[in-house]
Amino acid sequence: MKKFCLIALFITTNSLNLNAQTNTTAAPQTPHGPTQIDSDKADFDLTAHKAIYRGNVRVSDPQMKLRCEWLVADLPQPGGRMEHIVAETNVVIDSTDAKGQPMHTTSEKAVYVYQVKNGATNEIVTLTGNPQIVNAQGTQAGDVIIWHRAADQVQFINPHMILKQIPDGAHGGTNSRTANTNKPAAPK
Amino acid sequence: MKAGLNSAVPVLSVLTALVFCGGRAWTQQNGLSHASDFTSVEYFAAPNQQRMKSRLSGAEAQPQAGGLLVIKKLKLETFDADGKPEMIVNAPECVYDSLKGVANSAGPLKLQNGSGSFRVDGEGFLWRQNDSLLTISNRVHTVVESTTENKVAP
Repeated sequence: MKKFCLIALFITTNSLNLNAQTNTTAAPQTPHGPTQIDSDKADFDLTAHKAIYRGNVRVSDPQMKLRCEWLVADLPQPGGRMEHIVAETNVVIDSTDAKGQPMHTTSEKAVYVYQVKNGATNEIVTLTGNPQIVNAQGTQAGDVIIWHRAADQVQFINPHMILKQIPDGAHGGTNSRTANTNKPAAPK
Repeated sequence: MKAGLNSAVPVLSVLTALVFCGGRAWTQQNGLSHASDFTSVEYFAAPNQQRMKSRLSGAEAQPQAGGLLVIKKLKLETFDADGKPEMIVNAPECVYDSLKGVANSAGPLKLQNGSGSFRVDGEGFLWRQNDSLLTISNRVHTVVESTTENKVAP
């Protein structure tokens, strides 16, 4: 029988090989799998160019699946992406990391920003409101989690703990270090 | 004053469509006129008052009591201030309140941008012409097709 052993690890973001700067160079544009959004209701403000999805919102794209109760997105330019998305209330994101391992993320709010500046792509998801990530290594939480999708890197602000599942009889190691990370810029 | 003038345009268009109907077919049903090729246009406020903001059209319009029109084969188009098409809404049928500038239906609709890269399906909608707000009430399904940059290490 297995039991959960709580291992409180206060870790620095550097120990997770995280970088705040995640620019990648843009190359010629190629077709990208479609993004699909389903919801119970939606408002389309054609003056402000915004879509507001409400109730049982589900987003699916080639890289991830997201669920929440409320989502507002800028309407894309023809052929373009949704460049700014805010998801709120019971946000759940299922994706895979660079190694193809599943990653399950939860939070109360997620802000997605897509930018191309000086030929470099930035694609950032900022998670707030009890954000945590569950993957093969355990559960990682922080005050804020910043996911740099283009570089597939995750940054924790004030990381709290790692919950790790350990079989009976095994000894869970503890490695506690003080977090020392910069506060992120406020999401749009 | 501007708002009054702008809001009057669709009403005038409706009346024009119903009275003159551009030589199109007319029928009389229970004393109410029936027009084909209905169009109602809304223009931007000054200084772009010559440019269309939205155009609501239908294959036919059946007047109802209270200034309502039942429009078949609805097509709603919105434009930016430069005249470029932005969004197109298609629905088999809706009820249009020409005085309030509101259209609604319990039936299906399709919304898409000019290139078709952004498409929405849903059931039941309310279109408020004055603030260009479209509410879809049920089963909203959106597809966004985009191009993306290949990521190349710097």
